[in-house]
Amino acid sequence: MIQGLLLGLANGTVCVAYCAPVLMPYLLGEGRRIRNNFLVLGEFLLGRLSGYILFSIVAWLTHRLLLENLSRHELVLGVVYMLLSGLLVHYGISKPAKECAAGRSASILPRAISQNPAVLPLVLGFLTGLNLCPPFLLAFTGAAGSLSLAQSALFFVFFFLGTSIYFIPAPLIGAFTRFGGLRTVGKLAGFVVAVYYFYLGVVMLGGGIVTLWATP
Amino acid sequence: MGNTVASKAPAGSGEPRKLVKAALLSFPMVLLTGLMTTQGRLPSAAPALIAWAISFAFLNVLFFLMVYTGKTHRFRAVLFVVTAVCFVITFMSNLLAARGSLALTRDNVINGETPFCHLVIPMTLLPAVLKRTVIFPGAMLTGFAAIATMLVIWLGASLALGRGWCSWVCFFGGLDEGFSCIRKKPVIKNIDPRWTYMPHAVLLGAALTSTFTLSPTYCQWLCPFKAVTEFEKVDSFRTVLATIIFVSLFAGLVVVLPVLTRRRIQCGLFCPFASFQSFFNKLNIFDIRIDRDKCTDCNHCVNTCPTFSIDKPSVARGSALLSCTKCGHCVDACPKKAVSFHIKGTRAGLATNTARLLFLYPAYIFAAAIGGGMINGALLLALSSFRNLI
Repeated sequence: MIQGLLLGLANGTVCVAYCAPVLMPYLLGEGRRIRNNFLVLGEFLLGRLSGYILFSIVAWLTHRLLLENLSRHELVLGVVYMLLSGLLVHYGISKPAKECAAGRSASILPRAISQNPAVLPLVLGFLTGLNLCPPFLLAFTGAAGSLSLAQSALFFVFFFLGTSIYFIPAPLIGAFTRFGGLRTVGKLAGFVVAVYYFYLGVVMLGGGIVTLWATP
Repeated sequence: MGNTVASKAPAGSGEPRKLVKAALLSFPMVLLTGLMTTQGRLPSAAPALIAWAISFAFLNVLFFLMVYTGKTHRFRAVLFVVTAVCFVITFMSNLLAARGSLALTRDNVINGETPFCHLVIPMTLLPAVLKRTVIFPGAMLTGFAAIATMLVIWLGASLALGRGWCSWVCFFGGLDEGFSCIRKKPVIKNIDPRWTYMPHAVLLGAALTSTFTLSPTYCQWLCPFKAVTEFEKVDSFRTVLATIIFVSLFAGLVVVLPVLTRRRIQCGLFCPFASFQSFFNKLNIFDIRIDRDKCTDCNHCVNTCPTFSIDKPSVARGSALLSCTKCGHCVDACPKKAVSFHIKGTRAGLATNTARLLFLYPAYIFAAAIGGGMINGALLLALSSFRNLI
């Protein structure tokens, strides 16, 4: 457990850098007060924790069942990246035309998310929690040495606590949102990051399919 | 101090006094460009001497015309566009000489043989602070376009010119500007002002993704100029996709949209470096002011600004936006001479041509330092090729 915490503390800045492209545009785009931003951060971190715990279970099973099949692994990640980019794009376009776009967004996202936009940070956090950033891979290596699934999950929980300390200043970005232009920047930045994740998703999916095809 | 060559005597009057004044004011530039382009020694080989003479004359004739006519934009634009075209030619030939190929291979990246480009500077800052690493695969001190060399040039020019860099020094911007000058009138006139926030968004997105991947994501995925400089060797699904993106972005942002809008779309609505460089306008002593006593709110400056750096509220405030590139287009276009170069701390509308001249010297020195070498290099290449042909 202490090993997980220390690993989290040592690699927290990278974790922030990894999650910031998703979190920052959201906080800027929402333009809420600092107190509300802490709530958003809480939701985001909760989602991330759920992603971590789920991933610790799924990774343990995947490792057992799929025997490190790299091409399939890329396919899964590709889909996750594309889902994340879709969510960011949805976030970018849903606000300006909130009333009339409600019907259309329901067909893109599960009804629960479309009707409760407050859930979005939770979903974004969950999806970033499923991504394999470098410190996460380190944690995965550490957790793989655990004897049981429970130990592995605890390792991840403490790793999460170590990294989360670095997220505390993020809501202070709310102090800047009184500048109207920053909201637009936040929304547009969400698009840019979405495009980037979409590229990654297409590359991983395409690369995975090509590898699968080429493998006899 | 406001008495000027241009304002006292109109352009083309041919008065000897005006000519002498313009020649005297241009003389320091003759000396400086002479020193910069020769480094104290004239080239001995005939093609090199001819190339040098043409580029030297070209640089100084343009500067003389700027001083003599009092017009900035049209002569700057000529130099800017020629520099960009010559940059593409010399860059490619330098790459061929240094690496033997235009395509960037994995070995080139590992060996740090990628020429450093100023566009990536803002994306390298966060990783440098957080991880103490330069995420660009270039050489720090040696080779063509080393990181340290480019950083020193950029820092000097940024302090001297602010975002003036984007209209005087950037060797990519001329491509954008060249295409924006092709049509006489724009086809697309109304552009939503919200798009002017896009460079900040691209900067934010690129800086954050570069930090978590520890790689220059803008260069890898979004830079339109990859289409005309170096490109990654197309040998995988990823590089095919990246190449399609580079070519599409170049065609859209640098060619088609500038032609249709008569604006520098890449520079004004997309480039993340432009967003970053805007903040240096705060440090720089020069800016563009609008004399409210002379201004008739005709909005000619708003409609002509190639980088969307003047809007109606800024005209009402009497100054250009922070994103102003000091290209001089609005100054030249204003029918009432209400728009002028200005030194911060002085009264707007006073000594306007002195302020312009004081800005022109450092701006042109940087433009000549960057452009001179490229024009010279391209001419030398052309002359050598011609000699080989005959």
